[in-house]
Amino acid sequence: MQIYLPIAELPVNMFLIFGMGGAVGFLSGLFGVGGGFLLTPLLIFSGISPAVAVASTTAQVVASSFSAALTYWRRRMIDFKLAGVLVVAGIIGSTIGVTIFTLLRRSGQLDLIISICYVTFLGLVGGLMLTESVRAIWNARRGRPAPLRRPGQHNWVHGLPFKMRFKRSKLYVSVIPIAAIGIGIGMLGSLLGIGGGFILVPALIYLLRVPTNIVIGTSLIQMIGTMAVATVLQSGNNHSVDGVLALILMVGGVIGAQFGARLGAHVRGDQLRAMLALLVLAVGIRFLVNLVHTPAELFSLATLSGDAR
Amino acid sequence: MRRRPSPAGLLLALLTLLAATPAFAEQLVLALSAEAVKISSSFTGTGITVFGAIERDAATVSRASTYDIVVVVRGPGETLVTRQKERFAGIWLNRDERTFVNMPSFYSVQSSRPLDDITTPELRRRFQIGFTDLAFRTAAGEPETSAGDDAFRDAFIRLKQQAGLYRSESYGVMFPGEQVFQATVQIPANVPVGLYRVSVFLFRDNTMLATTNAAIGISKTGFEQFTFDLARRHGYLYGLICVALALLTGWLAGVLFRRD
Repeated sequence: MQIYLPIAELPVNMFLIFGMGGAVGFLSGLFGVGGGFLLTPLLIFSGISPAVAVASTTAQVVASSFSAALTYWRRRMIDFKLAGVLVVAGIIGSTIGVTIFTLLRRSGQLDLIISICYVTFLGLVGGLMLTESVRAIWNARRGRPAPLRRPGQHNWVHGLPFKMRFKRSKLYVSVIPIAAIGIGIGMLGSLLGIGGGFILVPALIYLLRVPTNIVIGTSLIQMIGTMAVATVLQSGNNHSVDGVLALILMVGGVIGAQFGARLGAHVRGDQLRAMLALLVLAVGIRFLVNLVHTPAELFSLATLSGDAR
Repeated sequence: MRRRPSPAGLLLALLTLLAATPAFAEQLVLALSAEAVKISSSFTGTGITVFGAIERDAATVSRASTYDIVVVVRGPGETLVTRQKERFAGIWLNRDERTFVNMPSFYSVQSSRPLDDITTPELRRRFQIGFTDLAFRTAAGEPETSAGDDAFRDAFIRLKQQAGLYRSESYGVMFPGEQVFQATVQIPANVPVGLYRVSVFLFRDNTMLATTNAAIGISKTGFEQFTFDLARRHGYLYGLICVALALLTGWLAGVLFRRD
């Protein structure tokens, strides 16, 4: 069924978009990630302009994060004080991110920067995850126990000033690294149309030593706040949020996520991480190919504000 | 979605008009199958038929050669940047660019025979008939762009053609009767909204005998119109609505699929 998207200004197959949302939702439920980093590229590769793809996925991330956050909230697995600091920092970050986005669009370099960022981050994160998970699988085969984490261990981050106490996370840390992480994720998220969970969660665990049972719920709150502000800013500055596209993606996404989460409970963690790593690398490689491969058409048309024509 | 009077009815109306108008040499009479196109959520493109008649008074001498008709439809003007990718450090990125102001967002030219056989290059340039003869200006009021911009002009036309927004058809104008013609203009799904100008030119022996204009209004309707206007004029409000929608969807899903 063809449906005309009012902001993207093109007709799309509704079931195709719904299917994409569902498939990405399934994977995000399976792997326990937001899925923005898969959904935005998928939309771009299917012909929707990067600006609309990024901005509409931003709205979709709000829906999927909120749905997941409800569960964590019921189980009281959220540190609201830490989440509050992260959200404030995230809003600053997304304001910067959307401003950069607008400037890049006008100068015609947005697509390039989005591609380069995706190649860099997906390559780095995918590579790290793959080595880690392969090592874990290898150790499990050999019958070696996984290396024990020492929770009491401090790193350089804990020596910074302006300390704050977070009772729920049992932490007493400086706000500097928290603000830096929040701003960084906010910028990246609004620029690339991702929640940034796959960077935020490891950063909170390894840099700040946030307990693993609290980290996901807390990072979800950060994503909801940051992405909600990014959606409003993208819509106000760039008019690039397509509500119809976002709604189809949201509904497909939340349904897909339920099935994914059910299957995910039956697969081993290290194998799941290895599969996710391969997926992340594949998307990154696809962007790299687009960058280096000689395009069939060297020319492109756009309006002065950067809308593709 | 749009008004479509029957072709027979139109022809009848045209003939009545033909009988009523006082003739002066050759004159053109025009009727469109639709004067408005409404884009709704099911819009996948449409065709608009231009009907016309050539009327001639009794004093006009009958000429040996046949009439030729050119139908041009121009969409609202827009200023576009054409960018060219170049390889830099192994990757392809936009380097050089040209801005062309006030270009027709949509341009369709249909004729009864190939344009070269109907008219002269001078007339084509003066009346902007055929997209190779469009005026490409880099700024309003400035002279036309230099020869160095040829690659950008060609790319502009090529990309517009690929998008289905620039069209040409050498035998697109039919003559069902000796002095009655018709042409169907294809309006694609990705058509820009605005006021479209239909111009019809009558040629004989490389001379322009008559010309006439009509207008078609293309607009979004209903929900599409509402969301588009809201997003353009009240972007922040539209963003807030999208966020509210996202929270509602997320909450509904959280309630419906509650597992604990």
